[in-house]
Amino acid sequence: MSGSSDGGGTVAYIQHHLTNLCVGDCDPVTHKAAGFWALHLDTVFFSVALGVLMIAVSWRMGQNLATGTPNGFQNFVEMIIDFVSGQVKDTFPGHNPIIAPLALTIFVWVWLMNFMDLIPVDLLPAIASGVLGIEYLKVVPTTDLNTTLAMSLTVFALILYYNIKIKGVGGYLKMFLFHPFGKFFVPVNIVMSVIEELAKPLSLALRLFGNLFAGELVFLLIALIGGTMAVGLGALIWFPLQVVLDLGWLIFHLLVITLQAFIFMVLTIVYLGMAHTEEH
Amino acid sequence: MSEEKRTGILLIGVGTMLTSMAVAGFGLGFFVDYWLDSQPVFMLIFGGLGLVGGIIKVHSVLSSLG
Repeated sequence: MSGSSDGGGTVAYIQHHLTNLCVGDCDPVTHKAAGFWALHLDTVFFSVALGVLMIAVSWRMGQNLATGTPNGFQNFVEMIIDFVSGQVKDTFPGHNPIIAPLALTIFVWVWLMNFMDLIPVDLLPAIASGVLGIEYLKVVPTTDLNTTLAMSLTVFALILYYNIKIKGVGGYLKMFLFHPFGKFFVPVNIVMSVIEELAKPLSLALRLFGNLFAGELVFLLIALIGGTMAVGLGALIWFPLQVVLDLGWLIFHLLVITLQAFIFMVLTIVYLGMAHTEEH
Repeated sequence: MSEEKRTGILLIGVGTMLTSMAVAGFGLGFFVDYWLDSQPVFMLIFGGLGLVGGIIKVHSVLSSLG
């Protein structure tokens, strides 16, 4: 509750927690990105750190694989792999050895980034401020539109690549000509098809960002209950309420973060599957 | 891939697809206007087309449920 105890008030507290650690071309007053060469260092750090964690755990597990009776963690990982593999088999036509590893990476990485939302909102910013002197720290990479857009644009690049690889440049461009209004409205069809293609990465990115950003905001508002109202005897009422609400939202949010990671993964498989089929 | 399964999955994103197509239309129009210095002609036209396209898309996904 650093913001409110500073006398900055609830708005300042929320704004402080929603501000990234910006370096480069940043506004000196608002600390928001002010140009192309602005870098959100916290987003980059946490997303890369979680990616490295994922690789390290996978590598370590690969070194100690048990073929007979696997231990609990190996069982758990195999369960996730089976689940993702099943989704790919169900929804992806034909065979492409890249799709299942890509889907698994997306699912686990997005889930890990989303999971950062469940860490108490003040814990890591307080440590960063107290120990390292870092003023701003936003710990959930998926509450930064840059992360979700970067991931969805990467998926979009793959969609374009496979569309052109499977259908050829001519075949892919032909899809833009006659859908949805037939051969007499080719210019309108082209514009609408381009919009439809652009909407795919946009919807992927905005859905993940919106859900996680809103979730984080609710955590901040719950944190404010104890922070602003728990004065004197009032703490006897407000603090237990904060604990109960926090626990309730945490349990519900565990479902949300898993669902959002699943949706991002499964829509990626479906969009790439559509790129692999002749019809659109 | 079973068509029902794919349609079922696309239904997850049908709400955001409608809004995303409208936003993508306005965005595309904004850049075309910026390029041709014709504000706000293409933004309105492409935004409208995006909205109509979104409605058509949602309708086609929902209709394919049977």
